[in-house]
Amino acid sequence: MEKTIELDSLTFAAMLRQGAVALGKEKTTVNDLNVFPIPDGDTGDNMYMTLKAGCKALENHLGTLSELAAAASSGMLLGARGNSGVILSRIFAGLAKGLQGVIVADTKAFADAMASAVAEAYKSVPVPVEGTIITVIREGAAGADTSGDLNRYFETLLEAMQISLDHTPELLQVLKDAGVVDSGGAGLLCIFRGMNDALCGRISNEELVPASAPEVPTVELDKFNENSTLEFGYCTEFLLRLMRSKVDLETFDEQVIIDYLNQVGESVVAFREGSIVKVHVHTFTPGEILNYVQQYGEFLTIKIENMSLQHHQSVNQNNASFKLPPQKYGVVTVASGEGLINAFKELGAEEVIAGGQTMNPSTQDFLEAFKRINAQHILVFPNNKNIKMAADQAAELYDKADIRVMPSTTIGEGYYGVGSLDRSLENVEEVVESVNEIMQSVCTGMVSTAIRDAEGEVSVHTGDFVGYCGKQLLSDSPSRTEAAKELCCKLGADQRDVMLVFYGKDVPADEAQQLVAELTATYKNLEIMLNNGAQPVYDYIFVLC
Amino acid sequence: MLVFYSDTDCDITPKECAEYGIKMISMPYTVGDQVIYPYIDFQEFDSHAFYEMLRAGTMPTTSAMSEEAYIQYFEPEFQAGNDILYVHFSSGTSNTFTIMQQALDKLKVKYPERKFYHIDTLGITALSYNIVLECAEQYKAGKTAEEIVEWAKVEVPKFPMYFFADDLKFFRRSGRVSGLAATMGGLIGIRPIIYLNDEGKMVSIGKEKGRAKAIARLIQYVEELGEDVKAHRVLIGHTDCPDIAAEAERMLKEKFGQDLNVITNVVNPTIGSHCGPNAIGICFHAKHR
Repeated sequence: MEKTIELDSLTFAAMLRQGAVALGKEKTTVNDLNVFPIPDGDTGDNMYMTLKAGCKALENHLGTLSELAAAASSGMLLGARGNSGVILSRIFAGLAKGLQGVIVADTKAFADAMASAVAEAYKSVPVPVEGTIITVIREGAAGADTSGDLNRYFETLLEAMQISLDHTPELLQVLKDAGVVDSGGAGLLCIFRGMNDALCGRISNEELVPASAPEVPTVELDKFNENSTLEFGYCTEFLLRLMRSKVDLETFDEQVIIDYLNQVGESVVAFREGSIVKVHVHTFTPGEILNYVQQYGEFLTIKIENMSLQHHQSVNQNNASFKLPPQKYGVVTVASGEGLINAFKELGAEEVIAGGQTMNPSTQDFLEAFKRINAQHILVFPNNKNIKMAADQAAELYDKADIRVMPSTTIGEGYYGVGSLDRSLENVEEVVESVNEIMQSVCTGMVSTAIRDAEGEVSVHTGDFVGYCGKQLLSDSPSRTEAAKELCCKLGADQRDVMLVFYGKDVPADEAQQLVAELTATYKNLEIMLNNGAQPVYDYIFVLC
Repeated sequence: MLVFYSDTDCDITPKECAEYGIKMISMPYTVGDQVIYPYIDFQEFDSHAFYEMLRAGTMPTTSAMSEEAYIQYFEPEFQAGNDILYVHFSSGTSNTFTIMQQALDKLKVKYPERKFYHIDTLGITALSYNIVLECAEQYKAGKTAEEIVEWAKVEVPKFPMYFFADDLKFFRRSGRVSGLAATMGGLIGIRPIIYLNDEGKMVSIGKEKGRAKAIARLIQYVEELGEDVKAHRVLIGHTDCPDIAAEAERMLKEKFGQDLNVITNVVNPTIGSHCGPNAIGICFHAKHR
């Protein structure tokens, strides 16, 4: 006889996770189905990220089935994205409601909870549209066999959901026209299949994959230009905390908000959980909606996106089989110090690996950075001779992009290289050549503290500040400012046009400003740009060009 | 009677209006959700405060005027039986002139007798200002609209302006400069040199390392292209960087003599919204642009 499975809190957590794993594998297929109401192309991602937020809430969370279901539900409330994500979060909120007080669920308890989930799903949309995710959950629950054990229940539930999903084009003309089944329903079925797998003990230990769309989607702003017409309006989502100072929480009926939203917008999904009202609406005038609802409360989060951009994005994705087209160029560089890292990012570097002379990044670090970039050509600026090898090795191992390791041996060369990179150039050889050219014209000097006596162009004493360039010791003084000034002189600052100064984490800002003021007075034709590099070890990095 | 109009994008202020008896069209800019009309919404332009606001991260926008606004400016003149000469900023940098033409077409039907002359300075700020002053002098001296328009046909192409800016993000955002390399050159002290071409469009023609070389390059253009430089005004327009402007003036006078007629102006806020702070340009009389 088959072992009767008990649905306790641990099983529930595993089911949710396996549901996410299953959807993670299929989410591109689900994205692909999305032709309604506008081609968002992100239903799979939205549902996946919503469910993942629920799974995340369960990490390290011990408790009863009832408590875990509630925790997952509130995690999904905050993580819910998109129309289908919001409805999904309501389905699990209903499930949690139905499982309230339940320690171990049997078929009846779970079936009751599913009924509650169906009710909650229908309540989340003001005008329920049949042929969508809500139909699939409803018909699935109605068709499931409650007379047997949970295995039997899930087996029949999945069958009924599949039939319901296949039937969605008959209920919704747009689906029929597009020749697809409902994407939200497909995503839901996927999740429940995964849940069933876990219930049957088929658990994979896969990591949850990131959504295929970046968490902060990069949109092509030019898709909506000065001459565009607002065709689709704005996808507007927010969480509103009802305020005691504005409404009577006990008697306030959120229906007034829902009624209003239906007058001014479309695709309305709105519901209340305690004192929080979650709203998803498509509208041409998001400002008016925000103003209106603020009479009842204050905002916890707001997200407004021009749907023309979403639309075009999905059209683009369609053309590239649901992957964003790679950008032409990407940049990986290495720096240490918060200020320097940010400075490189501001220059447009996609990946800045933390590291430097005292901490050389590994080949693996480079490989991981490459993987995070979706570009045809990746230019690598190691900014140090000791780091270049690891970069070269990573370049050999990586075959998803053309990797060019640039010969930058100093922060200054790297900074100018990245800063002068002209991403509009078509030919990568031309880019490499112009970057090399400017790097060769750059000279980098640094000021640090001497840890022992040494002889070079100057005599260096332990504990003094020492200025150097490459292997040349050029200045030495007990005063940091003096060592810096002497170094600039030796580096021929009077012959240069621009000097960038990055001051380190041990240098007070006013000291650096004072130094720059003095250098400016000395070198009239030199433009000096001061930056807080906050780098360790090197009190000053001077980059002359 | 002929009424002379110009606009605030040409850097004119109530002072020039009073001096030459000319009328002003105020070109709006928007900060946040507030639309501001220069010299209507404020009497004096606090340029330092404005450009400090840009330095602090505010990015104002500009917009075209409405047809009604143009009708409100021009109709009373036609009603009173006046003709109009409008010396304006480059029609190649804004679509506001398309809207103005629509307004004029309507007025033409209503006032078929009335005449509207216009001179496109094919420039902005200091360049336009220089030409407006030349035209306004002729207007004050009693020249006819036809005479001033004839003068402009020959002379407008002879007023170039060369300039550069510290922070290219303002130009890049408005997309009004062609040929700008897609680099973050500003952060490494590399500055594209930009000029206004014969069509009144902004084009990048090269770059210089460091501010000192960039200023020297502007002066070099005055020397190489200049024609009867001393017989005309040399305009220095800047966006809240008087030190750089003073240095440019010093270098100009060193080359052309202390009696060179240099006028230094702060760029109006509407055009300044596209340039950002620390931009400087020089407009002078030349063989060609």
